[in-house]
Amino acid sequence: MKNRKFLTAVIAVMLSCALAACGGQTGTQQTTIAAAAEAAAETAASAQITAEEVTKAAAEETVAENAEAKTEASEEASEAGGASAESSAAGEVSGPVTITDMLGREITLEQPATRVVALTPSDCEILFAIGAGDTLVGRGEYCDYPAAVLDIPAVQSGAETNIEEILALEPQLLIMSAMSQTEEQAAQLEAAGVQVVISDAQDIAGVYTAIEMIGKLMGRDESAAEVIDNMKAIFAEIEEKSTGDGSKTIYFEVSPLEYGLYTAGAHTFMDEVANMLGVKNCFADVEGWGAISEEQVLKRNPDYIMTITMYYGEGPTPEEEILGRAGWENVTAVKNKAILNLVDNELSRPAPRLADGARKLYDFVYGEDAE
Amino acid sequence: MRSRSGRFSFIEFVIFVAVTFAVFCLCVCIGSVSIPLTDTLSVIWDGVRYHLGRLGMAVIQVVSGSGAEAVGGAGTVPGGVSATVESTGAVISGGNGVLASWLAAKPEGLQASIILSVRLPRVLCVAMTGAALALAGGAMQGLLKNPLADGSTLGVSSGAALGAVIAIAFGVRFPGLPFAGTMVMAILFAFLSLVLILTLAYRLDYSLATNTIILIGVIFSMFVSSLMNIIVTFAADRIQHITFWTMGSLQGASYQNALVLLGVLMLCGGMILRRAQELNAFAIGEDNARHIGVDVRRVKLVILIMVSGLIGVCVSIGGSIGFVGLVTPHIVRMLVGPNHRRLLPASLFGGAVFLMLADLAARTLLNPIELPIGVVTSLVGAVVFVVIFYRSRRRS
Repeated sequence: MKNRKFLTAVIAVMLSCALAACGGQTGTQQTTIAAAAEAAAETAASAQITAEEVTKAAAEETVAENAEAKTEASEEASEAGGASAESSAAGEVSGPVTITDMLGREITLEQPATRVVALTPSDCEILFAIGAGDTLVGRGEYCDYPAAVLDIPAVQSGAETNIEEILALEPQLLIMSAMSQTEEQAAQLEAAGVQVVISDAQDIAGVYTAIEMIGKLMGRDESAAEVIDNMKAIFAEIEEKSTGDGSKTIYFEVSPLEYGLYTAGAHTFMDEVANMLGVKNCFADVEGWGAISEEQVLKRNPDYIMTITMYYGEGPTPEEEILGRAGWENVTAVKNKAILNLVDNELSRPAPRLADGARKLYDFVYGEDAE
Repeated sequence: MRSRSGRFSFIEFVIFVAVTFAVFCLCVCIGSVSIPLTDTLSVIWDGVRYHLGRLGMAVIQVVSGSGAEAVGGAGTVPGGVSATVESTGAVISGGNGVLASWLAAKPEGLQASIILSVRLPRVLCVAMTGAALALAGGAMQGLLKNPLADGSTLGVSSGAALGAVIAIAFGVRFPGLPFAGTMVMAILFAFLSLVLILTLAYRLDYSLATNTIILIGVIFSMFVSSLMNIIVTFAADRIQHITFWTMGSLQGASYQNALVLLGVLMLCGGMILRRAQELNAFAIGEDNARHIGVDVRRVKLVILIMVSGLIGVCVSIGGSIGFVGLVTPHIVRMLVGPNHRRLLPASLFGGAVFLMLADLAARTLLNPIELPIGVVTSLVGAVVFVVIFYRSRRRS
């Protein structure tokens, strides 16, 4: 009697294990079920081996597919009209690539990647900027720029990163940032056979490094260099034209009063761009992003206010809301209505669009006529 | 009965009011931007004068307007009456002149903005939020005879927060009334979660035994927090707003908020305070209360509804602030004893003082950075609670 109970319990546990293993999102459920059936017959250890075999088979398939995709891609690249001989050559860089990712790990790819998943919005933006957007087979759920990225299957990212979901897309390469993802996730993905590269840009120089690194990984060194040169040119132009001497101040509002004020302090992209424009961030004494006191904003009396609050189409717009705040009527920026609402994350993501954001801020501070 | 176990004596009342007022003044005078005491006082005095003057002017205008009407309509009335009306008019215009000379100009400048538009409404809201939460906690603890009872353990706070999050995520707004969307939804959901918890509790246990309610409250809180996560997943574009909101902030509190809090405190708080005697009966036991003629279910229902009203408004204005409702009544009980006729009003003042001081710390400690108030209340509250608990246990 006791034995039967025990047996029933064991069978129930095994069944639920099998169910959990098949209930994932890998999409290769038939194989998994077969593997699970075998596993049930044998021990847990052999189950692992079977699973590994399945993965290997899948990997072999992927390589074959990749080869095809690669040929297609290079055909496309050579067909692309109007492109110079050099740039089509840039698209055809092949052979092994070695880079050092931004956590200092050396990474070698047999050849430039053709199936990529990028979890961070900025990395997606960089891929598109260097013309490698078509290699994306998956993106993090918050990646929203450019519009074409929305057609690519979304996967969960951040703390909810779903490893199975990513493996199902069979990427050769996964790009993620050190800030929103964890090292455990990287280790798990690498154990599952996906090459992980980590980007971690803290300042504009770091963005250049990230672009260069991703360019190399995709075999698009030259496009990457072009993007970087373009950014550098815009920044240089703006910096040269800016006449500010740091006497005017700007307040960056990241979260509105209703939810508690947040600002971007020192060592943020906004701060860096403000310095470039010769405008002083009035919360330069705050390190990184921080919740700040409303009284301090009034006291520091900024000449300009930039808010990144989204407008959902109901109630007052972010500008109107700031203009209508009680007690803010004496703030210079409010008096002069010098408020800019930048809603597309241009100045909060380590991506090539930082240059666009800097230009918008320049136009806002110095007037569009100055251009 | 000894005088000690009766109601609040006049002197005790004066002491509590004085302490609360002193802390209130302290919190208005100290802030992230330091402003000299004399300037603070003069700005407040000017503000009060300005608003009183405007109020007076408005009253006079209404009165003299009706007076003029009376004069206009007095054509057929005998001369004597119209003379009286005229003399009243003269008196009014005289009063107008006196008022005009007393009337201060609207206080302006940085200091006036900071004190009158930022600090004063915030401290007012903080004080009343603290009072409301502590009163709600004290009433809950007495009613359920459970030292762990609080708006948060009962699930009312979570319910209110869910309502507010839904309002933010799906953009529930009422035209012309800022904040009204989150507030109405928070109160509504506080009530709804209360009804749900009570219905479930009634089904399981008709007498609403304390353990049943607390257990259901805890389970409900967990259920609600997972619902909130689901909503956040759906409204990914507003995740930032929701995250900031759930951390709780009394920044940007306005006089309108203070007025709403005052109204709720007078209505719901008053109702709870009037039930203090019944709560005493509950403290001995539900059966005891029933035997001495307390309508147990009715009193329970009234108090639970009033508590959810208080908590709904507090949550919609300041987010979920933990520990105030739980700790304050315990601290206060050590000062004034367990009689609810003394405990409840003392909790009211104690909660106000505690939250004002916590907010002061949140505002000034890491200047110019501001801490979430919930962090301070939990940190300070937990330590204070342990110290007091330890000492009282050792003594006994």
